[in-house]
Amino acid sequence: MEKRYWKGVEELNNTPEFVRLRDNEFFEHLPVDEVLNRKAASDSSTTRRDFLKFLGFSVAAASLAACEAPIKKAIPYVVKPEEITLGIPNYYASTFYDGTDYCSVLVKTREGRPIKIEGNELSSITKGGTNARVQASVLSLYDSARLANPLAGKKKAEWTAIDAEIIKKLADASADGKKIAIVSSSIASPSAKKIVADFSAKYPTAKLVTYDAVSSYGIVKGNEISFGKAVVPSYRFDNAEVILSFGADFLSSWLSPIEFSRQYGVGRKLRDGKRSMSRHIQVESALSLAGSNADSRYKVKPSEQSASVAAVYNKIAALTGASQVSAGASPLNAVASKIADELWAAKGKSVVISGSNDPNEQVMVNAINNMLGNYGTTINLDLTSNLRSSNDAAVIELLGEMNAGQVGAVIFWNANPVYSMPDAKAFAAALSKVGCKISLSDREDETAQNCDYVCPDHHWLESWGDVEPYKGYYTLSQPTIRPLFNTRQGADSLMKWAGVAQADYYTYLRDFWQAAIYPMQTGLSSFDAFWTKSLQDGVFETAVTSTGAATFVGNVADAASKLMKPSVGTDVILYEKTGLGNGSQANNPWLQELPDPISKVCWDNYFAILPAYADKLKVTQGNVIEVKVGNVSIKGPVLLQPAMADNTIAVAVGYGRTNVGKAGNGVGFNAYPFASVSNGAFNYIAAGVTVSKTVDEDITLAATQTHHTMMGREIVKETTLSSWLRDAKAGNPEILIESPYGPKTPEKLDLWATPANPEHEKPNHSWGLGIDLNACIGCGACVVACNAENNVPVVGKDEIGRAREMHWIRIDRYYTSDTTKENAKEKGLGKLSMYGEMEKPAADNPEVFFQPVMCQHCNHAPCETVCPVAATTHSSEGLNMMAYNRCVGTRYCANNCPYKVRRFNWFKYSDNDQFPYNMQDQLGKMVLNPDVVVRSRGVMEKCSMCVQRIQYGKLEAKKAGRRPGDGEIKTACAQSCPTNAIVFGDYNDKSSEVNKLLADPRSYHLLAEINVQPSVFYQTKVRNKEEGHA
Amino acid sequence: MSRYVSRYLTITLLAVFLSVISQFQAKAQANGESIFKANCTSCHVVGENKVVGPGLKNVHQRRSEEWLLKWIKNSSALIKSGDADANKLFEENNKIAMPAFNLKEDEIKAVIAYIKTESEKAPAAAAPGAGASAGTTGEEDDNSPIVLLLVAGLLAALYFVLNRVKKGLEKVVRQREGLPEPIVYKGKAWAREHKKLLYVVLILGLVFGSVKGWYTLKEIGVSQGYQPDQPIKFSHALHAGTNKIDCRYCHSGAEKSKNASIPSPSLCMNCHKYVQQGPKYGTEEIAKIYKAVGWDKDKQQYTGKTEPIQWVRIHNLPDLAYFNHAQHVKVGQVSCQTCHGEVQTMEVMNQASPLTMGWCINCHRTTEVKMDGNGYYTELHEKLKKQYGPDAKLTVDKIGGIECARCHY
Repeated sequence: MEKRYWKGVEELNNTPEFVRLRDNEFFEHLPVDEVLNRKAASDSSTTRRDFLKFLGFSVAAASLAACEAPIKKAIPYVVKPEEITLGIPNYYASTFYDGTDYCSVLVKTREGRPIKIEGNELSSITKGGTNARVQASVLSLYDSARLANPLAGKKKAEWTAIDAEIIKKLADASADGKKIAIVSSSIASPSAKKIVADFSAKYPTAKLVTYDAVSSYGIVKGNEISFGKAVVPSYRFDNAEVILSFGADFLSSWLSPIEFSRQYGVGRKLRDGKRSMSRHIQVESALSLAGSNADSRYKVKPSEQSASVAAVYNKIAALTGASQVSAGASPLNAVASKIADELWAAKGKSVVISGSNDPNEQVMVNAINNMLGNYGTTINLDLTSNLRSSNDAAVIELLGEMNAGQVGAVIFWNANPVYSMPDAKAFAAALSKVGCKISLSDREDETAQNCDYVCPDHHWLESWGDVEPYKGYYTLSQPTIRPLFNTRQGADSLMKWAGVAQADYYTYLRDFWQAAIYPMQTGLSSFDAFWTKSLQDGVFETAVTSTGAATFVGNVADAASKLMKPSVGTDVILYEKTGLGNGSQANNPWLQELPDPISKVCWDNYFAILPAYADKLKVTQGNVIEVKVGNVSIKGPVLLQPAMADNTIAVAVGYGRTNVGKAGNGVGFNAYPFASVSNGAFNYIAAGVTVSKTVDEDITLAATQTHHTMMGREIVKETTLSSWLRDAKAGNPEILIESPYGPKTPEKLDLWATPANPEHEKPNHSWGLGIDLNACIGCGACVVACNAENNVPVVGKDEIGRAREMHWIRIDRYYTSDTTKENAKEKGLGKLSMYGEMEKPAADNPEVFFQPVMCQHCNHAPCETVCPVAATTHSSEGLNMMAYNRCVGTRYCANNCPYKVRRFNWFKYSDNDQFPYNMQDQLGKMVLNPDVVVRSRGVMEKCSMCVQRIQYGKLEAKKAGRRPGDGEIKTACAQSCPTNAIVFGDYNDKSSEVNKLLADPRSYHLLAEINVQPSVFYQTKVRNKEEGHA
Repeated sequence: MSRYVSRYLTITLLAVFLSVISQFQAKAQANGESIFKANCTSCHVVGENKVVGPGLKNVHQRRSEEWLLKWIKNSSALIKSGDADANKLFEENNKIAMPAFNLKEDEIKAVIAYIKTESEKAPAAAAPGAGASAGTTGEEDDNSPIVLLLVAGLLAALYFVLNRVKKGLEKVVRQREGLPEPIVYKGKAWAREHKKLLYVVLILGLVFGSVKGWYTLKEIGVSQGYQPDQPIKFSHALHAGTNKIDCRYCHSGAEKSKNASIPSPSLCMNCHKYVQQGPKYGTEEIAKIYKAVGWDKDKQQYTGKTEPIQWVRIHNLPDLAYFNHAQHVKVGQVSCQTCHGEVQTMEVMNQASPLTMGWCINCHRTTEVKMDGNGYYTELHEKLKKQYGPDAKLTVDKIGGIECARCHY
């Protein structure tokens, strides 16, 4: 019998409903016909079959593409250059000098590409130090905004044609008796100076007008008045026991910051048995880098600075018996005698400087130094500096001549006055009256836009050159790459136009050195040998014996009478940022993204004002205010900056470029228009300012640090010199942790006790970093050096605003707070309000601390234990390793890191239009370090302690069959540091510097109480001040 | 049927016989060839061109065997003895004496025999492109898979034929005996009846599939055996094998740097200024070097027009892995062949090793560190001896050689 099965009762009963449904394949009505009959569907050329074909094809193509490895080509040199071994870097000694910073450097090249700048330790001036701008300049070489060809009338031209036209126009101008001006930033090259002289010989009406965007003319003029010598002297901060600076940021921008940072570091370090350090007093209005490092800092309004100088002068004059000068009221009057006493006690071993460009103030400062007997000890008037020679009077004169139509031709050489002049519009208008305008700029910048010819200069890494930073000290620059574009060195262009006999600047330079410099030495008997040695060393230094003492002939009373008078209202002061400087490298994304050492803001300038002053103005951070000086009115965002002087607005120049390139255009606003001319010099202080809040306008400032105090924790440990002299452990008491065996120091407590578990020993090397917080000035050279060394991407303002910066090393900046846990009770604060108050920096004059923080390479690393895929592990050499390709991006490690040093790749930053910086095109990528992988999206990264450098150094030692020497291997941050605050080494090497430092009682591990046992340690900051006193 | 079998057998036997004979012949020739390649190719070719010494084509016709024996054994002695031919030859070749060769008489005869055979086929070899595939060394290897496939095909055909025959015979028997037709299962019914078999097959299939799949997936991105065509038919077998040129002569970076580096054509010119003809491709491939480096062979001077050679890269490590040749070659004293295989036998270069991380790590786990005589390791060696015992094998992994950041940064 046939068995039957029913699907349900409906089928058994054979209901009509069931029958209806049974005959339909689909239970519900499907709108197949409607869909297919729609006009759009019938019009569509894609049939179902086609769709399936496409689908199948794309699936197949995708899987094929995934499986098939692309064919890679290996193309060897046709003729391999003898000096290049693939994979081995070459170092060339060279010199960075851009009219502001001077630095003797080594250029690291790989396969003929410069990829990193390192300091040259053979230079007795910079001794291996660098700064952020020097470090970043290698990226400017690969800037796609550079001109690829010379331009004539904004059109691409040939060099021969352009030369012929220019020579004719110059000759015409000269024949007409019209002036020819070479407007250049300070020239420190003796050979270039000779070329300018040759040029003037050919064209008798030619003259050199030295124009620096931020001028130091006041010092030159002041010395001329004081000593009859129009020079910039040399300073020895390392010999100074007391340093008094009136608004001079000598660690960041003033005269020769790298050199001064190095000297300053020497005076601050308490190492190798040295038990004294310099005392640094800063009198300033805005919080500068130098000011934040000072032992005592006094706030005065910008317009009160001159009066403050006079006040100190009067006190010292009283001690020497010299006559007093009349001085305006200054808040410094109260402490002037104390300062004067300190200076007097360090007579002949102190130095007083001023950042003002007012010659009269400089005369007063000279008079103080003269009374203190500092000439011949800390200041040398014979060892003159060539680094800053701008001549404001000549620039002002040129402006008049241009307006009068007396100027036939102007050549701009490393100068951009249409951007940086106080009244740029007036300059541009005057410029339009000049017959022939030539720019040697490497890009079509604001001035080049107004020129008839642009003859693009080489980048300095493509150039030959020499610099004489100080009399008798010579350095050479040499090209480290063939010119990338059809450019020509500025000196070469001038030579061509001057009709100099030599074929090119290289020949000229060699001939010059043979004639002028070779005779200065006796050691080498042939010029070729001398030339080779000088090129290899990068420096040639002759002994300078003169101490530079001089007789003061200035008229102090006259100078004092012309000083700026303290204003009643608000003042504006212009300053140069540690990163961007005067703005010539504004298109460098590394510099734009370098957080300001003080405000920690990237990618912007702003009006920095004291929070209390902001309350008075009823504005807060990010509000746009309009600042008006005379008829100049500029809008910009407010930044609340503790430690500012009241009624003061500080604003950085170098921003607001319009023609510099895509990274720098339109970033911030141009503050140069606030500058003016007074006493025949450019004045970067403006008084009589009106401030108004604009309605409903805000600009979000992107900062990498938004907390400001240490909240009562001992993150930066500090003490005073006198306490430290009494007790070497002052400020750094031993931390004991409660344990089953009683209180123990963290090092004694180890879950992985070593004798039982030898795998956790480090038999070979044990790498570590020591950071002396007394020497760290917070300049950020290490941050940019790390960017260059480790291919750290630039993420831009928006991402920084989301706290997604990628820097592997950050410099934390902390302010002291008025409220501490101890005094909270006295103030009658509850727990919550206590912490609220502790977050606020001290209202009046907080002290500032800097602390570089990178991965601490914990030996009990919290990150390692939480990684689910073991992408971060520990090495037997003490390194916390990160395998990017193992990382799946859970970010557990970053959450578990007590130091917050891990960085997550939220995006793919290379080949991504959203991040239009250096990793997008072939040109910009040439700066990448080929030994370090470019990370992709979704992985974690962090400081590797430059493992590629460690491995390289180890291999070099192994190849030679020896141990690596102490100091042979250096991380990028340690190498770049101008003050040698960062020391890298091997703890297993008993004689290493890092071991010696670790044994110092000042050494401590960051957050030692959590016992993660870092490989990085810090040293207590010691301030040379009275206890409990600012 | 037996008729078919005997026919197959005859054919097979004939084939085997022929191949044996030809192999014997090849062996005798190969002996002469290998001696020739080992000793003579740096100065001579079997052709008309002069390299350093004269071209040797038909030399067996020009000179008597006796003379050749004397000359090859010690040319200087022959010249001194006042032999007119010898002296004339010496003068013609700018008085560059041919070095004496310590070869046995039958070895020299083998060389002469080789020259003889080569001279006879020289015209064909010299024609451009022709005979390019007539490599003497690779031929047997190249054919083996085809032979195997043929044999497999034959066997399959045999099975099929025999099966048909068997079925036919059974049918005949059944019809004769009047037995019923066997039940023929079809589709689902068959499956229901053979559940166990089905399960076994399915499980086996699954296991086999997974294992196979696993290994297939593991092969993704692994290009072991990758042997692309190169723009120049450069033979490592000739240069490193026959001519015994040290690897590091051309790959000079191997001891110094992370890159062993491909030599630039200017380095090739150190020899190929003189060696203008190769044994296999004649002047054709060497002309490509001249083109790259811009060498005018006729005028014997550089033209200045260069054109880099675009080699196809064979060993491609991903960017995420850092490898350093110097560490392995100079410090670790690892021979090139350990990773690159028997390069000296490779007519066309290929990737001998898988270059996977597992492969790296396995080697690091088994290879001892060369600590002796390297000052870097002295102190460490003492420490490790204490830790692991004096006789322990101190392999690379024991000094951290399998830590991530040794290769990944």
